[in-house]
Amino acid sequence: MRTPSLTVRLSLLFALSTTALLVGLGWTLERAVAAHFRALDREDLSGKLALVQRLLGTTETRSALKKRLEDIVIGHPDMVLWVRTAEGELIFERRAGLLPSNTFEPGEAAPPSRAAGDPPRWLQWRRGPYGFRGVLVELPLGPRGGESAWVAMGIDIGHHQRFMASLRHVLGLSVALTAVAAAGLGWGAVRMGLRPLRRVTSHVATLDASRLDARLPEAGVPVEIKVLVDDFNNMLARLEESFRRLSDFSADVAHELRTPLSNLTLQTQVALGAVREPEQYREILYSSLEEYERLARMINDMLFLAQADHGLLRPGTTVVDLADEARALFEYFEAWAEERGVGLELAGEAQTCGDPSMLRRALSNLLTNAIRHTEAGRSVRIELGHERDAVCVRVENPGPDIPPEQLSRLFDRFYRADPARTRHSEGGGLGLAIVRSIAQAHGGTARASSQGGLTRFELRLGRADRETSAGT
Amino acid sequence: MKILIVEDEPKTGSYLRQGLGEAGYVVDLVDNGFDGLHQAESGEYDLVVLDVMLPGLDGWQVLQGLRRGHPHLAVLFLTARDQVEDRVKGLELGADDYLVKPFAFAELLARVRTLLRRGRAPSEPSVLRAADLEVDLLRRRVTRAGQRIELTAKEYALLELFLRRRGEVLPRSLIASSVWDMNFDSDTNVVDVAVRRLRLKIDNDFEPRLIQTVRGMGYVLDVPA
Repeated sequence: MRTPSLTVRLSLLFALSTTALLVGLGWTLERAVAAHFRALDREDLSGKLALVQRLLGTTETRSALKKRLEDIVIGHPDMVLWVRTAEGELIFERRAGLLPSNTFEPGEAAPPSRAAGDPPRWLQWRRGPYGFRGVLVELPLGPRGGESAWVAMGIDIGHHQRFMASLRHVLGLSVALTAVAAAGLGWGAVRMGLRPLRRVTSHVATLDASRLDARLPEAGVPVEIKVLVDDFNNMLARLEESFRRLSDFSADVAHELRTPLSNLTLQTQVALGAVREPEQYREILYSSLEEYERLARMINDMLFLAQADHGLLRPGTTVVDLADEARALFEYFEAWAEERGVGLELAGEAQTCGDPSMLRRALSNLLTNAIRHTEAGRSVRIELGHERDAVCVRVENPGPDIPPEQLSRLFDRFYRADPARTRHSEGGGLGLAIVRSIAQAHGGTARASSQGGLTRFELRLGRADRETSAGT
Repeated sequence: MKILIVEDEPKTGSYLRQGLGEAGYVVDLVDNGFDGLHQAESGEYDLVVLDVMLPGLDGWQVLQGLRRGHPHLAVLFLTARDQVEDRVKGLELGADDYLVKPFAFAELLARVRTLLRRGRAPSEPSVLRAADLEVDLLRRRVTRAGQRIELTAKEYALLELFLRRRGEVLPRSLIASSVWDMNFDSDTNVVDVAVRRLRLKIDNDFEPRLIQTVRGMGYVLDVPA
């Protein structure tokens, strides 16, 4: 099902709530007017009833009574009056046929449910096109007392009913019209109110990968949408950063591959340009071999990173003693570090879960990096420890402070903090990127910090005890 | 020793044949899975170098077919993709070892030699010798020209590796993996430094020089002819 637009939805809601309010108001008004009319009618009836009561109580003879009752009704053409003794003798009757059929039948003694002395019973009924309001009451008859008479009296309230009908009509019509108007106005208001949102969406529609530097304007944006705009702008910033790193990476890959390839091509072409001694050919082939190996290593590293990017590194859950790994790596790097005059120190113990060879590789890359950047006579230190739920591996080496903007890029592929460093003395520029991928594959993080003449790389990994207890 | 190469990439195949031939093996080359399986089943080979991506039958199918009749024939498979699944699949199907392309020829040669040596009755000598260098494996004692030489544990392990595989060119990656258990490429010259230190102790003051650098390939220990 298609979701209705916000405008339609809000307009309908406006119309509905307005209609509900007006219907309530109209109903109250109608009730009030009807009650007012009923009170008016009853007042009128009460007045006449009082007159009739006095006549019944004071008039001596039936004929005189009849005559005086005749006088009462004479000026009221809409009036119905019917008087009968309790014994059933009809004293007076005018338009009695218009009384409700269920009042009581002529000739009947009294309405069964009525007893003398009861308060007046108010009635309302219809006869054909006429509407009536009336009263049925038993009153004392004759000045001597002892007798009583039933009096039924009614007045035509057609004019009130017609007024009520037209009132209801007018009310209904205005409610309907107001509902339509509310929907229309609501639609207009919503469209106007949502204009900032439309501006934002039309702005968003113009964005694509080539315009990631664009941001949504924040000026004149209402608070409700500002959150959205801010989030969107932050997302754009992150996307832009990722895209930039990606395109930097592609450019770097091309550059890193092109340089050795052009060396190889040039060297081979020059070699073939003249007839040479076998020893010279051998030299050229050796030199080529070195380039090939460098290329192969770089491609292998890139493949490893590609696998990491595709989530294909599954580290497993072997318990790895990081101190053992560090000691093994120290044995491996010992001679090399010694030759460079760099000491190796290890402090602390920690165990984590994962792939031993991947973790060893990550540590090895960090250690290589640290040894390379340490002056002779100083030491590289590996510190293992726990922090809350994480295992911390810190590899520290003394070295000049690295500016913060470079720190965040150290783990980028092919990034070199110092562009002047020659390619051959350095690694492929992928070592730290691999460290980060391995840390992430293990659900951990890799961070670099640098201050006070100390450069520190820190890996945070899951604790072995936590993992194993969760696994069993 | 006879080796069968099943490889459909013509350049790779012919260079492998040339390289292994020059290393002293008799080598046949076929370029598809059907011929590969058929030839290998003839029973005249000691080792099959098998590419995984092949026309006709692929490497896995050849391996499966081969294992039914020849469970003990050594098979080294070559794969272009370094996927864990590939490795696991190959080893589960009964391959003896694998190499990921691109690989160093020295690495291939070293693995081939290891596989071919396997199965032969190992005559375990207690003393390894090269010229006047002697390593007493039981007492872990090293002497050259009768002089005692003190080595660290890793230097000893390195020397033992060189002596056991005397005459074989050992690539740096194989040395790193055998001596230090480091199974990944390093862009440092750690192995070179370690070999240089070993040389300093066993070769520097003596004649002839036993450990030689083979440029672009690795190191070899041998008595020069």
